Amino acid sequence: MNDLILIEDYKKFKLGMELFLNLPEFSVGTTPSEIIYTEDKMKLLHYIPTAEKQHPVPILVVYALVNRYYILDLQPDKSVIRRLLDKGFDIYIIDWGYPSGVDRYLTIDDYVNGYINNAVDKIRELSGLDKISLLGVCQGGTLSVMYAALHPEKVKNLITLVTPVNFDTDKGLLHIWAKSLDVDSIVDNYGIVPGNLLNAGFLLTDLFRLMIDKYVGLFERIESGPDDAVCQQRNEETFKNFLRMEKWIFDSPDQAGETFRQFMKDCYQKNLLIKNKMELNGKRINLEKISMPLLNVMAEFDHLVPNDASIPLNDAVSSSDKEMLVFPTGHIGIFVGSRSQKEVCPRIAEWLKPRSLDGSREEKFKQKRKNQRSKVRTK
Amino acid sequence: MSMEKSSFEPTQEFFDQWLKTYETTCGRLVEMPAIGPSREKSEKLMKGFSSFVNLYAAWMDSSINLQNVFMEAMRRMHEKTGSEMEGEISPEKYKDFYKAWIETYSETFKEFLKSDHFASDNGRFISYFMEFQKRNREMLEENYLKPMNLPTKAELDDIYKELYSLKRTVKELTSQVKELSEKK
Repeated sequence: MNDLILIEDYKKFKLGMELFLNLPEFSVGTTPSEIIYTEDKMKLLHYIPTAEKQHPVPILVVYALVNRYYILDLQPDKSVIRRLLDKGFDIYIIDWGYPSGVDRYLTIDDYVNGYINNAVDKIRELSGLDKISLLGVCQGGTLSVMYAALHPEKVKNLITLVTPVNFDTDKGLLHIWAKSLDVDSIVDNYGIVPGNLLNAGFLLTDLFRLMIDKYVGLFERIESGPDDAVCQQRNEETFKNFLRMEKWIFDSPDQAGETFRQFMKDCYQKNLLIKNKMELNGKRINLEKISMPLLNVMAEFDHLVPNDASIPLNDAVSSSDKEMLVFPTGHIGIFVGSRSQKEVCPRIAEWLKPRSLDGSREEKFKQKRKNQRSKVRTK
Repeated sequence: MSMEKSSFEPTQEFFDQWLKTYETTCGRLVEMPAIGPSREKSEKLMKGFSSFVNLYAAWMDSSINLQNVFMEAMRRMHEKTGSEMEGEISPEKYKDFYKAWIETYSETFKEFLKSDHFASDNGRFISYFMEFQKRNREMLEENYLKPMNLPTKAELDDIYKELYSLKRTVKELTSQVKELSEKK
């Protein structure tokens, strides 16, 4: 029995090494798109529709500055973008690119009132609509919240996905560590903060699982059944999926120094955003200005953005139409897990559908919601 | 958690003693103001050395703390699996051992990483590391780049700043021109 287990393990290891040596190329972010606007290193991509456009209001996806946007379109069967396209939404996404020395003085104001605002204006111009929907993810969600507070007249719906707005929590390790970080010394020394430095911090949050167990697990998942061709195909897929994720994890852009400085100090250390005290180029961000419909989506087991960091957003805004969804998954699982494709995307689409209608149909929906709310109150 | 108390007290004591001796002997020499024609260079060199000692001290503190966590994890691991791992170790047992090892070490480290103690130590270590890198770079620039007439980081940063400011002005003016032409 013991020998059989050993033989099985050896066989798996050998198969795994062979797979690494002969694995065909793999790609990420394969959903077809076109670049419709560029500014410095920022690119605005428009995804080619896969279904007839059913909802006139376009969605702009704003991803974080750390890591790359293609986690939302990692592979065809794990793609938030593709699921939303299939539901008939018109989707745009911002690719922030890879900042270099020349970008070290970019501030959050440049990102929010510059790049995001110009991207929103471009989409408004193309769609002929005054307002569009914003879907902000992680730190991109925080930037979207800032944008929605400063430019509410251009945002029809705001969706935040695993987004931190309240940084005064001791539930996440990043929140604890950030308090004691000498941000000035890091920014003054590097100018452009290396992505690898941030990645080291992310890895440290669960060192043994992320640096050892993950790789052991890959070899354990290898199948070696009697039908070698079928197994081989499945193993290849397992390895490709693993490598796609591995590529994304270590594809960490450097950070514009001044943006990093302000984000760490104003948000993580002073927690100014949720207190309505944060300023961008002298303009105060008042979250009460957010009056559009809000959907705040969280992951229950998020180790990077704990729920405590996201929940207060719903109380801080003045929107009457606001909802919170919590899924039993993790920070990354919410984009690529099977639950993401089966539950998260459909729920976001369901929420967006009636809020992405043209004028008259939207009025009917609003009236219906009003009636529903008054019924609930009467109860 | 018992790992807060050092199991590496002798190492800690030795290092503390070394640091005290350094501070009262060589350290004082390093901090002494330099004089003479090369005083500026000497002072920078000495400050660089001083930042290295600070980094070394912070690194030693962190190492001792980490060693304590490893010891605590090992102790917990022994408690969990000590009796089970006696006698012949089968592959199945080995797998269980691995599982227990990952779980115990992950949990023990998480407890340590969550502590304010780690956060402040880590913050201090990073500050000293940044300071050391900065001094190192300044020395390199002073002794190699400047004599060879090559641009330094500070000079590049000046250009970047100027470029950033110009770009911002151009963007603002472009948007004003666009607004004005739309009004017409």
